[in-house]
Amino acid sequence: MTDVASSEAAVTVTEKTRRFRFDWVPYLFILPHLIFFAIFAGFPLILGLVISFFEYDILRPEANRFVGLKNYSNLFTRGTVEFPVFWNALGNTAEFVLMSVPFLIIIPLFLALLLNTNLTGKNLFRAIYFAPWVLSSAVVGLLGFWIFQSQGGLMNYYLRDLGMMTPRWLSSMPYAWYSILIVTVWWTSGFNMIIILAALQNIPNELYEAASIDGANWWQRFLYVTIPMLRPVLVFIVIITIIASFNLFAQPLFMTGGGPAQSGGGGSTEPIMLRIYNEGFVRNRMGSSAAMSFVVALIMMVVSYFNFRIFRTRE
Amino acid sequence: MFKRSLTFILVVLLAIAMTPALAQDDVIELPEECGTVSLEYWNPFTGPDGPFMGEMVNAFNEASPNISVTMTTQSEYYTQLSTAAASETLPQVAIVHADQIATHVYRNILRPMDDVVAEVGIDSEDFPEAVWNAGEVDGSRYAIPLDIHPMTMFVNMDLLAEAGFEAVPTTAEEFEAVAEALTGDGNFGFMLTSGFPIRQIFEMMLYQFGGTSFDEDGMEATWNSEAGVEAAQWLLDAQAAWSEPNLEVDAELNSFKGGTVAMIWNGIWQTTNVTGDGVFFDGVATAVPQIGPNMAVWAGSHQLTLPAQSSEDACRDTAVGIFINYLLDNSVTWASAGQLPASASVRASEAFAEVLPQADIAAGSADYVFFPPSVPGITDAYGPLDEAIGALMSGNATDVQAELDNAAERANQILEQNRETFGSGS
Repeated sequence: MTDVASSEAAVTVTEKTRRFRFDWVPYLFILPHLIFFAIFAGFPLILGLVISFFEYDILRPEANRFVGLKNYSNLFTRGTVEFPVFWNALGNTAEFVLMSVPFLIIIPLFLALLLNTNLTGKNLFRAIYFAPWVLSSAVVGLLGFWIFQSQGGLMNYYLRDLGMMTPRWLSSMPYAWYSILIVTVWWTSGFNMIIILAALQNIPNELYEAASIDGANWWQRFLYVTIPMLRPVLVFIVIITIIASFNLFAQPLFMTGGGPAQSGGGGSTEPIMLRIYNEGFVRNRMGSSAAMSFVVALIMMVVSYFNFRIFRTRE
Repeated sequence: MFKRSLTFILVVLLAIAMTPALAQDDVIELPEECGTVSLEYWNPFTGPDGPFMGEMVNAFNEASPNISVTMTTQSEYYTQLSTAAASETLPQVAIVHADQIATHVYRNILRPMDDVVAEVGIDSEDFPEAVWNAGEVDGSRYAIPLDIHPMTMFVNMDLLAEAGFEAVPTTAEEFEAVAEALTGDGNFGFMLTSGFPIRQIFEMMLYQFGGTSFDEDGMEATWNSEAGVEAAQWLLDAQAAWSEPNLEVDAELNSFKGGTVAMIWNGIWQTTNVTGDGVFFDGVATAVPQIGPNMAVWAGSHQLTLPAQSSEDACRDTAVGIFINYLLDNSVTWASAGQLPASASVRASEAFAEVLPQADIAAGSADYVFFPPSVPGITDAYGPLDEAIGALMSGNATDVQAELDNAAERANQILEQNRETFGSGS
């Protein structure tokens, strides 16, 4: 008994001395980033949380008042102004995530596999597929509008020449989603492709050789060597692609304006980010806008958490 | 068109330079002790109209050596104004749209200008009542109208001539006859979209059929009236008879430019885009026709305002007054940029009569414009109406009355929320 007690005391003493000799050096290394993080991410995050409990307009300090959870409860109460538009936009965004993420993983994976072979001019192709990524979202949105618009837009011009049907890409459903999806895949696939390509080049050749000697065909090598070796990178790609698709904003803004409008209100392609922007900067209801942001952020955190969980348990 | 306007501008500038007495009938001077006053002037004229305003400011600076105005043109304009207000770097003079004035008054961005108006002697009688009233909030004056930009009809005169029409239609019968005659063979008589500015067109028809968008105090949406249903039904019938269905924003402009559409309605700011050198046919801009029993024209208005300042300064206020007065007196130059001068005396002037097609459009529309009531956040309440009209025109909704009722109900909630947010009195 006494032995245990004394040894416990010994541990505390050594721990104390260890804590006493606190090492500042590692913290100094992360300090520059920490300062910027605190100013540009940490502080706004906390301020945003505070604002979400207020009816808040930065230009009317006299009218700012604490409303508790009202901004949040408005989002969950049927019959409020916010309820239908918020959930409509969130539903639209979820729909887009489900639609876009498979394409944004499979197409870049396929392109990366293709460009990892001994293709002539593969560097040129890599550049071509990556090129759209450098464009700004406004440019991509406007390009999308002019390609898909109904009066002489490129898409319908060629479809008509080919004798195919020429839907109203931007003003009818589900074509409005298809056009946004096509533009998004074209715009962002290159980025995912480059990351997967880099990971592919890190897979040791011996693994493929060994698999070949064991008699594995191309498909088996892909399934049992490539995919497991890519898993960490694929987890990363899936998560950032889900987040990127959740942040959909400029493509519908420029291409469909959130439309076509639905009976009873709300746009069919209005994403949640556009709704939050309008609430905060057009209607100037910054408290309500902040509350919406936190609900969305919470949903994204939960989704990301399950992503990590699913991929980790499989390992 | 553009070259012609440019020549005209130069002529006007020359005239101003040579006869300084022209605009100085009852002009007040900046007192000697003020020295030189510098003014910042912001506007949202990022389009082809910007340089015209720049010319006016330069001419003013030439003409008044003791006042120096620096003009800044901003995009994302209202966000810029808000940010500037938060950081107390607002300009001394700023353009604000008529329907945004009340919101900006309540958000402490604008200050009252009754004294300035009185000092410079700007006369309310000189402006159409609706335009003038848009600048008044809770009994104080916050804005002076510079221009009116009405909904305008653009006509392909070549197509009309082929079908034997010599004049642009001005009545419902004439309009329907032209639209009917020119629909078919791949042509469309009158093209309507389901995007901007379809809600504005609906509102115009609503007023023409005797309705209003809101009650007088801006407490309640009233577009779900009988007139509203009539107006929406007229648009749906017009779309079914003379237009392609379910079009996205700007589709009517693009097909009009393609030469297959006889008539479209859009803002006067599209004039250079779809008439003159902008098209290969004889494109004409003219006033919209009267379809319903009352004449009414949807319009926006750029108004000159005084953003809030942290200190009092009589010299600055006098200088601002002189500058605003100058812009009004010379708004015929501004008309060349594609707007109608708000001031009736300028519109009556010989100089303006030569600015075409603006002078023609003004004759048929300036006195019939309407604006929403001056209550803060009124533009928010249009959101549900935008969606309702969009849903009807794109075929996603078919029950006109139910759609307008639903939009009115949601708009009323927004109006109530705004009253809660802004309270009463600024």
